[in-house]
Amino acid sequence: MNQPIIEIEHISKVYEMGSEEIFALRDVSLSIYPNEYVAIMGPSGSGKSTLMNMLGCLDTPSSGVYNFKGLDVNEMDDNDLATIRNKEIGFVFQTFNLLPRASSLRNVELPLIYAGESTTKRKQRAEEVLASVGLQDRMGHKPNELSGGQRQRVAIARALITNPAIILADEPTGNLDSKTGVEIMKLFHDLHSKGNTIILVTHEEDIARHAHRIVRLKDGLIESDEKNSQPTYYETI
Amino acid sequence: MRQIIEGILIAFDSVRSNKLRSSLTILSIAIGIFAISGSTSAIDSLNSSVSRQLQEIGEYSFSITRNPKVSFSIGFRRFARRKPITYKLAKELQSELTTTSLVSVENSTTTSIKANTGITSDPDVEVTGVNEYYFTVNNTPIEDGRAISMEDVFNKQSVAVVGNDVVVKVFNGNNPLNQTITIGSTNYTIIGVLKSKGAVMGQSQDNVVIIPITTYNEKVNDNRFSSVDITIKAFSKPELIEIMDETTGILRSLRNVKPGEENDFELLSNENVSNQFSTFTSFISVFGAASGVIALIVAGVGIMNIMLVSVKERTKEIGIRKAVGATRTTILFQFVVEAITMCQIGGILGVSISYVGLLLLGHFTNIEIVFPINSILLSLLICTVLGSSFGLYPAWKASKLDPIEALRYE
Ligand SMILES: Nc1ncnc2c1ncn2[C@@H]1O[C@H](COP(=O)(O)OP(=O)(O)OP(=O)(O)O)[C@@H](O)[C@H]1O
Ligand SMILES: [Mg+2]
Repeated sequence: MNQPIIEIEHISKVYEMGSEEIFALRDVSLSIYPNEYVAIMGPSGSGKSTLMNMLGCLDTPSSGVYNFKGLDVNEMDDNDLATIRNKEIGFVFQTFNLLPRASSLRNVELPLIYAGESTTKRKQRAEEVLASVGLQDRMGHKPNELSGGQRQRVAIARALITNPAIILADEPTGNLDSKTGVEIMKLFHDLHSKGNTIILVTHEEDIARHAHRIVRLKDGLIESDEKNSQPTYYETI
Repeated sequence: MRQIIEGILIAFDSVRSNKLRSSLTILSIAIGIFAISGSTSAIDSLNSSVSRQLQEIGEYSFSITRNPKVSFSIGFRRFARRKPITYKLAKELQSELTTTSLVSVENSTTTSIKANTGITSDPDVEVTGVNEYYFTVNNTPIEDGRAISMEDVFNKQSVAVVGNDVVVKVFNGNNPLNQTITIGSTNYTIIGVLKSKGAVMGQSQDNVVIIPITTYNEKVNDNRFSSVDITIKAFSKPELIEIMDETTGILRSLRNVKPGEENDFELLSNENVSNQFSTFTSFISVFGAASGVIALIVAGVGIMNIMLVSVKERTKEIGIRKAVGATRTTILFQFVVEAITMCQIGGILGVSISYVGLLLLGHFTNIEIVFPINSILLSLLICTVLGSSFGLYPAWKASKLDPIEALRYE
């Protein structure tokens, strides 16, 4: 196979709580290759979010090596990390994390603002991506004028707008009912079949079964890392 | 550039969502800018109106009046008990002066006139009694006919020189020479027409009738205690100073002013107008600057406060922006631009209020208002400095936020 997009080796994350040391991650190693669809599972507190934030360059490890597309992330300064987050990573959060006072369109074009894209290009691209997640008629709506599923679609559109190398989703269906959750999973399925690389955190087996590879964490350690030979399949739209 | 526009848009957004706090801050900036720009534009306008007055006085001329013409100091009451400067006194002064000079004497009133065309004017015509030097000293050229001569004055002739407005109004624009006008019950033959001076401070300078002062004193205003205005023109700067000294001496002795007492008349030359004026303007500027600076410091602290609260409230927003790729610099810049924008809104408000105030002032006082370009530039500068200096710390705090912790903030 070709070069991994993400390659972490012996990563640990320690939180100091007074005199106590909490290991959120212990010696985790993992490689993610292009067009993989990986689910990360584990009980609450097992370190899933910690791992995702680190992969998404939002957080830094206490020790270990992180190579993103062959570049050492530990060597990067704040601006480099911001650029990686902007151009290479599309992050989807459990709580959507949309700007509450901005329309869908403005929320979606936000990464392009920081990429320095022109207004017309931005708008055109944002409309395109919003249409691709089925929100062509919700462009002017603010988050509080949208349903939970629609908000998550906006968030996914925002994650897609810069054509990132990888999409990281931390419990994207966690705040949604199961029917809406299935719709979002269909969307990820489509994205994957179009060639995107996806890492998804969940603690629901149903959701995890959509992925082609399942990594299980427990107490900050990788418990298992297996192929899913029969991923849930949808007809591509 | 894109970042600036983006920052401004975000700024308007946050101003809108924090209405009360923003409006208080914007208000205090507006007050500060109002104080500063109000005083600078007032000074601009006064400057231009005073320099026009100075031009009227002429370079080597000074005038003698009973009361100050342009007064910037307080205390009008002390002028009320001054003895009048009568025409008789003016003539005595003229005969005692030894230095070569031209002494123009004038007195005027506003009334209506009637022409032999049968047309009566509004009662707004300025009828001025003058001696023969008036035209030279006051730089009032004749367009047609002749000026008032020494003989006219000596013989108390009933002759008149009229301004262009009078020609238009009561002679329908026809040649008025040798026609007659009636003021009170006296008929005057028109011997000359003045060259048009146009309007100064919105008031026409051509709505005038000029007659010999002797005739004026007898027919128009026979109050012997009425004060005349005297203007004396010298031919060089040293002569001017000499004549001013001499005049002061002569007038003090003629008016029995005891040694050590203040003059009971006013000498007004270019120089002492500028002196009086600069005392006055520096008073305005110190006062304006002081109150402005205080208001602006209050405003600056307000800006800092509102920005700090706003950074705190928008921690999550900052987290989101960082998560999708905003760098520290971008965030810093956004908040500084936001602070500056808020200041500029206040500044625009302050300048507008002070301009409206000035227009009102101009409307009621005849001071011509200069468009306050200086204070607009000043306000732009102050607001930029204010916004960037007081907004910097909150902006820096925002830029330092850790993305994960910011995202977790509720
Ligand atoms: N900022 C922090 N300070 C201290 N401890 C932390 C911090 N963030 C996470 N932890 C700890 O690290 C461990 C892993 O947390 P993490 O959020 O990664 O779990 P998770 O697997 O995502 O759980 P969940 O399924 O509930 O989201 C937990 O024990 C948590 O208490
Ligand atoms: Mg989690």
